[in-house]
Amino acid sequence: MIKLQEALMAKALPQEDPLVRMQRDLKRALQKNPKDIKWGMVIDIAKCIGCHACTIGCVAENKLPPGVVYRVVLEEETGHYPYVWRRFVPRPCLHCQNPPCTKACPVTATWKTEQGVVIVDYNRCIGCRYCLVACPYAARTSDFGEWYTAETAELPGKLYGQKAAANGYEAHPAAEYGKKWPERDHDSPVGNARKCHFCLHRLKVGMLPACTTSCVGRATIFGDRTDPHSLVYEMIGSPRVFVLKEELGTRPSVYYLK
Amino acid sequence: MMNMKSKWEKNLIIVMFIGLVVGSWGMYQRLAYGHLPMNYGSFVPWGLWVAFDLYFLGLTAGAFLITILTYVFRIKLLSNLGPLAVFTVLVTLMCEVIIISLDLGHPLRVYRFLISPNIGSMLFWLVVFIISMWIIYVPWLYFLIREQLIAWGNDATRAGHQVYRFLALGKTTYTPEDQRRDSRRSRFLSFISLPIGLIFFGAHGAIFAILHNRPIWNSAMLPLIFIMAAMLSGGALITFLAYLYQPSDELIQPLGRVILLILLAFLFLEALQLFVGYQSKITGIVTSLDLITVGPYWWVFWIVHVLIGSLVPAYLLIRYPENSKLVATACFIIMVTFLSVRLNYLIPDMAVYKLEGLQNTFYHQRLRTEYAPNLNEWLVSVWVISLGLLTFLLGTRWLPVIQAGKGEEGHV
Repeated sequence: MIKLQEALMAKALPQEDPLVRMQRDLKRALQKNPKDIKWGMVIDIAKCIGCHACTIGCVAENKLPPGVVYRVVLEEETGHYPYVWRRFVPRPCLHCQNPPCTKACPVTATWKTEQGVVIVDYNRCIGCRYCLVACPYAARTSDFGEWYTAETAELPGKLYGQKAAANGYEAHPAAEYGKKWPERDHDSPVGNARKCHFCLHRLKVGMLPACTTSCVGRATIFGDRTDPHSLVYEMIGSPRVFVLKEELGTRPSVYYLK
Repeated sequence: MMNMKSKWEKNLIIVMFIGLVVGSWGMYQRLAYGHLPMNYGSFVPWGLWVAFDLYFLGLTAGAFLITILTYVFRIKLLSNLGPLAVFTVLVTLMCEVIIISLDLGHPLRVYRFLISPNIGSMLFWLVVFIISMWIIYVPWLYFLIREQLIAWGNDATRAGHQVYRFLALGKTTYTPEDQRRDSRRSRFLSFISLPIGLIFFGAHGAIFAILHNRPIWNSAMLPLIFIMAAMLSGGALITFLAYLYQPSDELIQPLGRVILLILLAFLFLEALQLFVGYQSKITGIVTSLDLITVGPYWWVFWIVHVLIGSLVPAYLLIRYPENSKLVATACFIIMVTFLSVRLNYLIPDMAVYKLEGLQNTFYHQRLRTEYAPNLNEWLVSVWVISLGLLTFLLGTRWLPVIQAGKGEEGHV
């Protein structure tokens, strides 16, 4: 009787939160030789509820200024009233295995790492924006030096007003790429191309990317796509899998499930 | 004629000084606040300044063409224009370099082209060819005007003769042997400039043509269209300059006929591009072409480019081929309105959302495809144009580029 109950419960209740499994996968991946890791992501659009939590999680994690966004959620509407459907397609950088953006950069300021992550060296980028033009997925944005607090009124004192508000948040950039960046003014990353980097600074310390942990519907699966025991590997093998703009031959490392 | 021209030149110099002063506001905005006060964004990352870069490139090409015809193919008819054309190449290149540097997010990092080059990038090669053009054209101009520099340096009655003496590196005599040597050097540089220049102009088109995610640009025809466009706008510039500096019917009328042919060929290529694009019925292409022909800026294409910039000059060139003044007017109109062609090549392909639903994702002015240059962008452009024209006008007054042309048969 007890065995029957357990069997029924096992089917009826969630087995394990995918986050727990991904965390375990990540831990295992980090024990490998870094050269043997190939990070990848699978986004199950059937599970995406269009809450934009991943966008917000990413913006908060990387302290992105206005107009800079690494991960957006595309909203597509089909059908006619009253038979209307909406579909949500989160779009981070697809970390193409054949990236057009890195080939475009004239000063090798952007490249694909051994782990398959396309990154930008902010101190090398000259800000020509050719990579933005070359990216078929509009996954790169330029940092024009905007401030959320630009319109905030200045007030005397250290607690309120424009300077105080800026100092409390956006004046101090996030530790992208695991580096400490100077206080935000005219220097990099202002004037640079910026993009999703799979939260490399988090991966380094054993944490999943911000978009993955913030995904309410567990639609985003992340891990080492070469590890046959990982969830991401399993998902890539799904018959529902597809990639964006396959015809361009960019071979993205971000896959989608229909 | 000379007095009129001199008066006209002086007035133009004053206007250009005013242009520099007015444009300084835009320059101040750019230098103090970077790209923040500009209108382009992440979905339309290249705006008016890149269009002007292409525009200046076209003008460079015209002047380049004359230098090649004069010094490589030795066409005597153009020989007087030789040094002026070489000087024009340098001025238009200067404008191109300034405006594209201002477009960079970190212009002070251009040294990166040397220390961390990506030889697989077309943009890297473009910079290599820009530098090569400088390396060729600066000494070339020097060798062409050296004789006059020495003569002016020796003329104690001439204002600034010491400066000319300095520019002539202190040399006070110019022997027939010197002339032969300079002539040989000029000819050598002209031969090198031919392949470098052609690749340089083709590379500009290739920067756009190789991007397979850009449906209008991604075509083998684009570099050819770019070369034709450069020849048309640059040829028009040179014809106009020839009318100003060497107003002879013998020169202007054949140039007018060449410009008419290039104009018709260019319009044919453009019509072909529109026809093929529309017939492909691919949404991305048709949407971009619609932006050109029926979009909010339809008048840039139909009125500025087709009507004023093409049909009116074509009419003038066909109807009055013997009238040098009208030929020069037609060329002036082509040259001035050609920015519309550059804008229509550049913007529409970027002004289409590359993924469905992208327009509904993240609302910010930098993440929109609607782009129109703002006042700051125009003011910076005015500043660069004024600087270029001022350099040209003062250069032709203070440097012996026209005088050297008069004795140019020796070099040719």
